[in-house]
Amino acid sequence: MNCREAVEHLYEYLDRELTPEVESKVREHLKACPPCGEHFDTEQAFLKFVEARCRSRCAPPELKRRILRELFGE
Amino acid sequence: MNASSEQAGSGDGKRASFEREALVHLDALYRVALRLTGNGSDADDLVQETMLKAYRSWDQYQLGTNAKGWLLTILRNSFINEYRRRARHPETVDVDTIEPFAVLSEEQEADPHGRFFDQIVDEEVQRAIDGLPEAFREALVLSDVEGLSYQDIAGILEVPVGTVKSRLFRARQMLKAKLYQYAVEMGYIKGNAG
Repeated sequence: MNCREAVEHLYEYLDRELTPEVESKVREHLKACPPCGEHFDTEQAFLKFVEARCRSRCAPPELKRRILRELFGE
Repeated sequence: MNASSEQAGSGDGKRASFEREALVHLDALYRVALRLTGNGSDADDLVQETMLKAYRSWDQYQLGTNAKGWLLTILRNSFINEYRRRARHPETVDVDTIEPFAVLSEEQEADPHGRFFDQIVDEEVQRAIDGLPEAFREALVLSDVEGLSYQDIAGILEVPVGTVKSRLFRARQMLKAKLYQYAVEMGYIKGNAG
């Protein structure tokens, strides 16, 4: 697998959407090619950053109470 | 009666299975609703309505299958039918024809590893996501915040998997470009664009 092919699979690789066979080819390329490895690491860090910045939000306790009241009369 | 033989029918069994399989996804529904509607009050109403609809049709849900995807489908349909028009302006362009645009190279060169991310607070990231076209925003939130598979996202959005991939790619590029631009404006990184 060359650099262009690896980058074409960038997000499918990070999202764990590739078949095991293609995933292992990408992984081998990343081991052998530090610039691609760095590129993938940076993209992964970006996705983790977005998740962390948004996952902190939770449903307000009052909303949960409202729903339980509506559903079960509590 | 053990969980595997329990039916989603009525009475205590219905309530127990709904609490176990549906109510546990309240936070996920709320996060998606927030990003779809853009405000807490509409998000509250949308989630409440989703849960009420889900409870009413609970006997159509097969226990132990993908409750999160099922609930998110109800939530999105409710949003489209009842909230979209008043919450935000409907999309007037076909987002799938928008050319992908990349982060300006001189900005990325100033911080190739995105170290400035650490300085950007939750609210700013959420605001940047809210500024994405709706079709990009929903794909990004379902994938990058809620961790759904391409297949599940395709089912919820009623589009082919290829469209999910393409929207996710564009959404991520657009979000990154917005955050780089914000980082330059705030002086977290130096841009050459003036």
